[in-house]
Amino acid sequence: MKRRSIAYSASPLLASRTPVWRSRFILAVLAAAFLGLAGRAVYVQVLDNDFFQRQGEARFARNIELPPSRGRILDRNGLILASSVAAYGIWADGADAKHPALGALANLLDMPKSALDKRIARSSDGFVYLKRQVSPEIRNKIKALGIKGVSDTKEYKREYPEGEAAAHVVGFTNIEDKGIDGAELAFNGALTGHPGSRRVLKDRMGSIIEDLRDIVQPVNGEDIQLSIDSKVQFLAYDQLRAAVEKHDAIGGSVVVLDVRTGEVLALANYPSYSPSDRRTRTGSVLRNRSMTDTFEPGSTVKPFTIGLALQRRLVTPTTVYQTAPGYMSVGRHRISDSSPHGPLTVSEIIQKSSNVGTVKISEGLPAKAMWQMYTDVGFGQKPETVFPGAAVGRLRGYDAWRTVEKATMSYGYGLSTSLFQLARAYTVFARDGDIVPTTILKTMEPVKGTTVFSSKVAADIRNMLLLATGDEGTAPRAQTLGYSVAGKTGTARKVEGKRYSNKKYRGFFVGFAPVESPRIVVGVVIDEPKKGGFYGGIVAAPVFSQTVQNTLRIMGVTPDQTVKPNINATGVKESL
Amino acid sequence: MIRINVALILAILATSVVVINTQYDSRRLYTAVDQQSARARQLMVDYEQLRVQRRAEVSPSRVQSIAVNRLKMRTPDPSITAYVSQPSGDTQ
Repeated sequence: MKRRSIAYSASPLLASRTPVWRSRFILAVLAAAFLGLAGRAVYVQVLDNDFFQRQGEARFARNIELPPSRGRILDRNGLILASSVAAYGIWADGADAKHPALGALANLLDMPKSALDKRIARSSDGFVYLKRQVSPEIRNKIKALGIKGVSDTKEYKREYPEGEAAAHVVGFTNIEDKGIDGAELAFNGALTGHPGSRRVLKDRMGSIIEDLRDIVQPVNGEDIQLSIDSKVQFLAYDQLRAAVEKHDAIGGSVVVLDVRTGEVLALANYPSYSPSDRRTRTGSVLRNRSMTDTFEPGSTVKPFTIGLALQRRLVTPTTVYQTAPGYMSVGRHRISDSSPHGPLTVSEIIQKSSNVGTVKISEGLPAKAMWQMYTDVGFGQKPETVFPGAAVGRLRGYDAWRTVEKATMSYGYGLSTSLFQLARAYTVFARDGDIVPTTILKTMEPVKGTTVFSSKVAADIRNMLLLATGDEGTAPRAQTLGYSVAGKTGTARKVEGKRYSNKKYRGFFVGFAPVESPRIVVGVVIDEPKKGGFYGGIVAAPVFSQTVQNTLRIMGVTPDQTVKPNINATGVKESL
Repeated sequence: MIRINVALILAILATSVVVINTQYDSRRLYTAVDQQSARARQLMVDYEQLRVQRRAEVSPSRVQSIAVNRLKMRTPDPSITAYVSQPSGDTQ
């Protein structure tokens, strides 16, 4: 009996009748329960820990994207043309529509209070951007207002210190920092970079306390160094703007090429836009006129025709052609000069820009050879440029040329080209008869070109073009102080519908300097000048002159012509 | 036997306190490092901002307008430039 019961009390009256096996049973159950717990603990923590690990991480671990910064666009001297700076997108989500500081917020965001109120009201349904690309200073002031439900996200804003002067070269990005035009678009891939990421543990204060795996570092976009010289670019743009305004023209372009490397030193168009101001980025101001607008190159093509005749030994610079009485007939068509000149040497035909003389020379040239030469210098060929929308121009196959077309083609009508193509074609004369590929990226290496003319022919044409800018030529206004220049004017009637307009012209000039050893080719076109003349020699040549003078000074080229010094400084005797 | 066990228990307690403390320190320091590197990034961003600002201050258009309008300067041309030739053998 004693063995079969357990004493819970000293009093025999309260002696229990509980059998011993029951307490043993309870003990066993408890032990089994603990074993079960221990087993579960091992299972959860060691064998199958994924689920709880995941759940734990979901509460404290965070993936952070590390955005790459977009590469900068630099000019040839390393000056910034485009760079990304910090900015903030200000947004509202369930903001208090009656907050007293909303007026101050509207002021800071530079928007009417009524417009802000509308957006704040909409934010009761969810996320609404109030304004994007807000500067850090403004954002800090907004933060200080402490409006509940108004917050911000970090983003980047593209800054263009050169502004409208380099707009068409540099281009711009959209609000997502993606290139839309110009170099921003052309080199978007290299500029963009790749985002990195890290997985971290955060504590309840939001501070990072541990990295859960190796950080994947973001790869920042590369910097792109363009061949543009921002000083040359600005001065070219400034001269162009002044000329377009002076002649009340609708637009114009300037292209400056480095003869030795084929680099584009400047490429300016007017009217232009401010790349960082989205409101100005509309309509025709976005057009990179020097690349997209084509025109009939007119007289500027004559040196190519004559170059071909020299190359084929059809003529020499002193061969005389009779251009009297100042017109001639080709089939039923009449080709005339602006004034009769009488007998002219080949050099004088260029100097006086005689259509009749050029046509007479071209009569000895096969159409195929002319077509081949035009093609070789890039007319009707897609320019090897990265810029979007570059025009190909028009050059019909030689087998479709009629006699009169071949004649007009010899002096630049019946084919079309962009200013960029025309400027590049002139590198043939500025170099030793070879043509080089152009580039917008900085290269220091001189490049090897494709030969079109012999170096003798190129030198002959250079001398003829020098005459064209002389006092007796068509463009004395292209002359500069100190540097010899050579080039050719052109004036083309614009095509309206199916016929040539009598009122709308394009005046242009393309040339190079210094003549003996050319360093730059400059092309200028002024579109529809209305005041103060329209001839290329009057509207475009002065821009050429100023651009050449500034560019060569900036490049540190010593003048090749003697200039009467005008220095008033008096020397002081050096003390011994 | 009991004495050894007590000593071991105390040692375990002590080391676990140290482990907890070290973990806490390491996380605190990690946070500090992270905050500093965030600050470094921010300073880089500010630096870029300042560089762009400085660049805008010296942009040719601004220099030109100040030189011409405020300082009454004019563009040099070859007639008012003295060209000196660098003596041969003189390397810079």
